[in-house]
Amino acid sequence: MNSIFTEEKPEILIQEDGTRIDGRKPDEMRPISIEVGVLRKANGSAYLEWGGNRVLAAVYGPREVHPRHLALPDRALIRCRYNMAPFSTEERKRPGPDRRSIELSKVIREALLPAVFVERFPNTSIDIFVEILRSDAGTRIAGITAASLALADAGIPLRGLVSGCTVGKVGDWLVLDVGHEEDMWGDADIPLAMIMETKEITLLQSDGTLTPEEFREALDLAIKGCTYVYELQKEALRRPYIAVEKEVKGEE
Amino acid sequence: MGLEEKISSTLLKEHLLKLAQAGKRKDGRKFDEMRPIEVKEGTFTKGLGEAWVSLGKTQVLTSLKFDVGEPYPDTPDKGVLISNVELLPLASPSFEPGPPDENAIEMARVVDRAFRGSDAIDLSKLVVEEGKLVYILFLDLYVLDYDGNLFDALTLSSLITFTRARIPLVKMGEDGSPKLVEGENFPLPLVDYPLSFSFVKIGEYLMLDPNLEEESVADAALTLAIDKDLNICSVQKRNGTFKLSEINKAVDIARAKYPEVIEQVKKVVDIA
Amino acid sequence: MKKSASSKAEFFVKDRELVLPGQALAKGSLKPDKGVYVDEEGVVRSYMVGLVEISNERVGVIPLRGGYVPKAGDLVIARIEKMSQRIIFADINSYCKAIMIVPRPEPRRGGRRHSLLAKYEALAPGDVVLAKIMSYDGVSNPLLSIKGEGLGKLVGGSLIMIEPSKVPRALGKRQSMLQVLKQKAKCDIIIAQNGIVWINSNDPKVIGAIEKALRKIERESHLSGLTERIGQLLDSLLGRKS
Repeated sequence: MNSIFTEEKPEILIQEDGTRIDGRKPDEMRPISIEVGVLRKANGSAYLEWGGNRVLAAVYGPREVHPRHLALPDRALIRCRYNMAPFSTEERKRPGPDRRSIELSKVIREALLPAVFVERFPNTSIDIFVEILRSDAGTRIAGITAASLALADAGIPLRGLVSGCTVGKVGDWLVLDVGHEEDMWGDADIPLAMIMETKEITLLQSDGTLTPEEFREALDLAIKGCTYVYELQKEALRRPYIAVEKEVKGEE
Repeated sequence: MGLEEKISSTLLKEHLLKLAQAGKRKDGRKFDEMRPIEVKEGTFTKGLGEAWVSLGKTQVLTSLKFDVGEPYPDTPDKGVLISNVELLPLASPSFEPGPPDENAIEMARVVDRAFRGSDAIDLSKLVVEEGKLVYILFLDLYVLDYDGNLFDALTLSSLITFTRARIPLVKMGEDGSPKLVEGENFPLPLVDYPLSFSFVKIGEYLMLDPNLEEESVADAALTLAIDKDLNICSVQKRNGTFKLSEINKAVDIARAKYPEVIEQVKKVVDIA
Repeated sequence: MKKSASSKAEFFVKDRELVLPGQALAKGSLKPDKGVYVDEEGVVRSYMVGLVEISNERVGVIPLRGGYVPKAGDLVIARIEKMSQRIIFADINSYCKAIMIVPRPEPRRGGRRHSLLAKYEALAPGDVVLAKIMSYDGVSNPLLSIKGEGLGKLVGGSLIMIEPSKVPRALGKRQSMLQVLKQKAKCDIIIAQNGIVWINSNDPKVIGAIEKALRKIERESHLSGLTERIGQLLDSLLGRKS
């Protein structure tokens, strides 16, 4: 019964002049919009739209660890759950963790952990939740970008924000911010995330064949993308305070 | 946040009781008043219909997906509706990751019952080939932010999702396998518009649409679903006990509230 | 970039500017205060969203977000959870539970000791108390005590939760903001360090007004002139002229 959901490979993924299937130039990113503090119960949260992605990230913590025996005596335990909603994909995805989401949960945790001052909260846990409500390629990077803001929103001490981006290889071109079709049928996919202020790379994966030159070029391009994402993250954190200031000034 | 969750405080209970004795609620609402309802604008899922709804500070997101498959053996001429509730751990410090627990399962079944009890969805119109192939609809109910009364929020969100849903047309191909008819779809066959009304009892006072604080000190809880003809299409008593007079009072309040709430829904979606 | 006249410190931000995690604040011979860290190159950076405080050669960040971190000497409002004969566990709205040790009855003393013991014996799970943190080493549970005037079980009234990072603003310099709240509400109000506020009132109008005022303090804590605006808000909500 899955025949009704099969996708067909598009005839042309990228044109000779580098125009991509969604009309973007090779170094053009999809639209991103971010809102911090969208949930009330969570200690910190962020909602992010990136192309067709819709991502909700939330943080609880530091808080008591349950079960107790997992607590670390000298630092906070960082736990992360990446989950795709059943309605996030074309064909409904059965609820619950699968192998992919388990790997991504680990990879996202390892992308965020270096940014957190875990030594400040021994015997506690900091729980990060990334829910993909709608999936459109680059969900782990979108999740990290949102989760980083959720951590800041929760007031958890951070070395800096973690920003991410993907680079792909489609035909002869390296493209920034891989789209859905490029993800399905392109030649390589490289997600990268880093703490921009300290220039430390905290997530790097690659899938596909690249020459060493292509790889280096791809990393440079990804870092350019991360720099752009970082500016958007900072603006999102500042926005509510600036809005309140405008409001108050308007009243006076 | 710790204090309103799992264990309520006696101070809170005494306070809410004192207020109730004076005919008041902590947030200023009347006993039969619902919190503000907000439907978020935008597209948030890949569903055939969806709704992100706030009831006060409670936020839920529901979305409808579909597949085609064999009907249940005892209903070869009807499509299938499967409802699933996820109490996401991000919605509350008291929700843990994992498969649905008894609360999530009860919630899914009660929401489903509101629509089944009122025959709101004409499942006989969701058949591709009788006995062989029917539409299977998946209603996924995501709880995002828990501040009380998930039953009503989820039922409302499901109703809006159903009114917005367009089902892609599937025909049986010549080779016996289902084929999607490109570009053609039809509205979900929705013939009734049930709404849910949940009450808690604090002392002897019945309150509609409890927030989290009220739920945490309540002695008893009851949910009723009302259809467009103001008939009762489902009932679920949860914890505690009710006198017969209290149940009848709840029914009266729910039936009186239905027109008010359905008017609000009509502002957001097209309902006959 | 401002260079301090007397030393070699360079500042990249102005006093009271909104800063973000990782943001470079200053470099040079400075005393880092709370809310900041020093990186490998000697740059002082914020570790949270907050307002930077620059004074002489000190630079720190006042957090605008974050939970309650227990500190010895803090006044907290706690909810009793578990009780055994000698030890009581309480929720203090933080990442760890607090404990109270029930004092042993000493036959010789009587008097004050007896009334202190009575305070403890009156407690039951679910009760809410005003207590003081006697000690906290950052690892084991903070130790609470209800010995002292005004400490002990809270009876009646209502609780409101506020963001712990906003408590200093809700109290104000020398409790100036708290005084405004109490004067306008015409009842007793206690704002505990762990973000819990107790209002000794059963009037929903008063409680509603104070809650609105507290939410406004939370939203505008990064701006000046707040005390006056809160006074005006309460006057308009409680129907009085200032």
